[in-house]
Amino acid sequence: MRRLQHWGAVAIFVGPFLGMLLLFQYVPVLRMLWDSLWDFALLNPDKRSFVGLQNYIDMFDDPDRRQAFLVTFGFAVGVVCTVIPVSFLVAVYLNGQLPARAIVRTVVFLPVVTSAVVIATMWVFLFDPTNGLVNSAFALVGLPRMAFLTSKMQALPSIIFMMLWQQTGFATVLFLSGLQGIPGDLEDAARVDGCSAWQRLRHVVIPLLSRTTVFVVVIMTVFSLQAFAPALIMTGGGPEGTTNFIAFDIYELAFSLQQPGLASAESTVFMLLVLGISLAQMRLLRTRWNY
Amino acid sequence: MIRLAAAALLATAVAAPAWAGQRSAPTADCPQGVLTLSLLKPQNNPPTPVMIAAWEAANKCMKVELNEVPFGQLADKISVLAASGSPPDIVMFDGPNTQTYAAAGVLLPLDKYFPPGLKDDMVAATLTEHTYEGKVYSPGTQQASLALFYNADMLAPLGITPPRDLDHAWTWPEAVAAMQKCQKGEGDNVSVWGLAPSRFGNATPGFVYRDMLFLRTFGDPKAPPESSLYKTYWGISPDGKTAQGWLNTPEAVEGAKFFSDLFNTYKITPKAGIPNAFQDGKACFTIDVSYFVAGLVAANLPFKWGVTPLPYAKAPIVHTGSITLGVMAKSKNPDEAAKFVIDVSTGKIAEDYNRAARALPAMKSISAKMEELQVYPLNIFNEEVARWGHPRPPSSHFAQYDKVVTDALRDIAYGADPKTRLDAAARTVQPLLAR
Repeated sequence: MRRLQHWGAVAIFVGPFLGMLLLFQYVPVLRMLWDSLWDFALLNPDKRSFVGLQNYIDMFDDPDRRQAFLVTFGFAVGVVCTVIPVSFLVAVYLNGQLPARAIVRTVVFLPVVTSAVVIATMWVFLFDPTNGLVNSAFALVGLPRMAFLTSKMQALPSIIFMMLWQQTGFATVLFLSGLQGIPGDLEDAARVDGCSAWQRLRHVVIPLLSRTTVFVVVIMTVFSLQAFAPALIMTGGGPEGTTNFIAFDIYELAFSLQQPGLASAESTVFMLLVLGISLAQMRLLRTRWNY
Repeated sequence: MIRLAAAALLATAVAAPAWAGQRSAPTADCPQGVLTLSLLKPQNNPPTPVMIAAWEAANKCMKVELNEVPFGQLADKISVLAASGSPPDIVMFDGPNTQTYAAAGVLLPLDKYFPPGLKDDMVAATLTEHTYEGKVYSPGTQQASLALFYNADMLAPLGITPPRDLDHAWTWPEAVAAMQKCQKGEGDNVSVWGLAPSRFGNATPGFVYRDMLFLRTFGDPKAPPESSLYKTYWGISPDGKTAQGWLNTPEAVEGAKFFSDLFNTYKITPKAGIPNAFQDGKACFTIDVSYFVAGLVAANLPFKWGVTPLPYAKAPIVHTGSITLGVMAKSKNPDEAAKFVIDVSTGKIAEDYNRAARALPAMKSISAKMEELQVYPLNIFNEEVARWGHPRPPSSHFAQYDKVVTDALRDIAYGADPKTRLDAAARTVQPLLAR
């Protein structure tokens, strides 16, 4: 009887969430896989024809889709390669005894709790080629004005910079918690052995932070691969597709171009790639240390 | 408890949004109850609260519940709702999408609801745009065309007097010369732009309604049908299935090059939006629709302004078509929804709206009553529709064409090679049109 009550309680507490997970995550994934085999329009989904794997073939043949994949993975690499070192340095600073730490911590973390839409809208104004604050600052120090979001060479780096500004706070907090978890006696022992500050950082702190680093790398990669608001609000995927992130491309294919079958095929491939990348990252960056 | 939780979960999952029209319990005045029709419309567009209130006053047992979305999200919202089981009864959509929605079975043909004479009363351009395979899907709320607004106080000291009639309309080189002369500052320090940035769509360059005209005006409707001049003017084949060889002709590339030059060579218009650039005196000229007049009058601007016909290159052209009301095919109240659409698109409600908004009527009978349409500045818009007006390239896949061409024109404004980009656009849109 107790056993039955136990499972009853489990069902009550876990059941609704499990049900919602199935309903809103796994059933749509199955539906997406099914839809990727059909050609139809969202306006008239009942009129559809079975095309097998043709959507997948079309996707790989289409230069616009290939560009979307390249842009998205380039963006993810750019974000990870900038956010990780910057947030690590900020975390090291915040972990020390230097002044104004509380203010810096608040300032750095503030963008994390701001809506992605608000941030994207704000940076549209900041990056305005004519009246933007960034160009005004450039003009003050004698630098030429930049086109930013209207230039195919500058649009993606501009959005990477915005993401750096937005995500540094979150990564910093994670690194900070990792730094504070490192036992002090390990650093003390290194100091007694005559290690310099750089050597302690290089040979003690960074290796012991590897578990946190893996987590931050995976999280930042996933965040970057999910990027949607910057393309929707800031660039519309342009100029010339240079900010056409996959999530935005899928949205445009399904809703604007009325090709949900192709969008489902792209989603499926993207999902598998992200899964593979996350697994690879966790394997390659797995910790060899424990404390 | 488990059953309760499961039931609650199921109820949450299957609960549909209250889109479909609903009928209340019977009352003394309304023995069949009060029917609430649902209406999806873009923000800041008709039907206005005044129009709805007037209709509700005349139809005591019916109410209209509004759901508004930003204009840029309207088409996506309609796509999603069309596939759902409970779409709104009535939808305000962009007229050029009529064929797209009609072909997909999203809209209900309204011919059988039209009172005698209504079809004949529709302005020719409106009837053409709202007809698909012989059936009419909307009577039309308004027509629209673009003209060039100017800041008269800025032009007067420069000795520039823009023409006020279509027969003496500027060519684009003449207009560009005036814009260059009027612009204040250059390079990084422009305080007054020659031409204001587009406020259409998402306020970036490229919106087909405005910017595809730069291509089409380099064509010629009187040229032989097999010529590229002719194809440039139409932008798509007559059956709406071919863009290759129509969108990317040498003349269209020439037009796209000219469009690019406005941003990159003459540098008389900015690539990024400036809200209210014309009203704030930050631009000498702006391209806008007739109901922009109402906004300028209401704003009581501290400068004199005027309107001149839209400039042209080889053949004058303006795009007709505007947002319009239709009934969703899946509406559970088609008769009542059709009555609403026809009532607010015709007669006194439409006349009052057209007058107040300074919008061009979609009904000839209303046009005849609006003497202001024969008087400057609205006469320019009115004559443009009659003499230069053509729909945006008609196709049952216009929505896709619109998206692809808008993106291409935006890239061209930002500096992409016109020929390469138009070729890419034609290659992208061709299979979509042929589906």
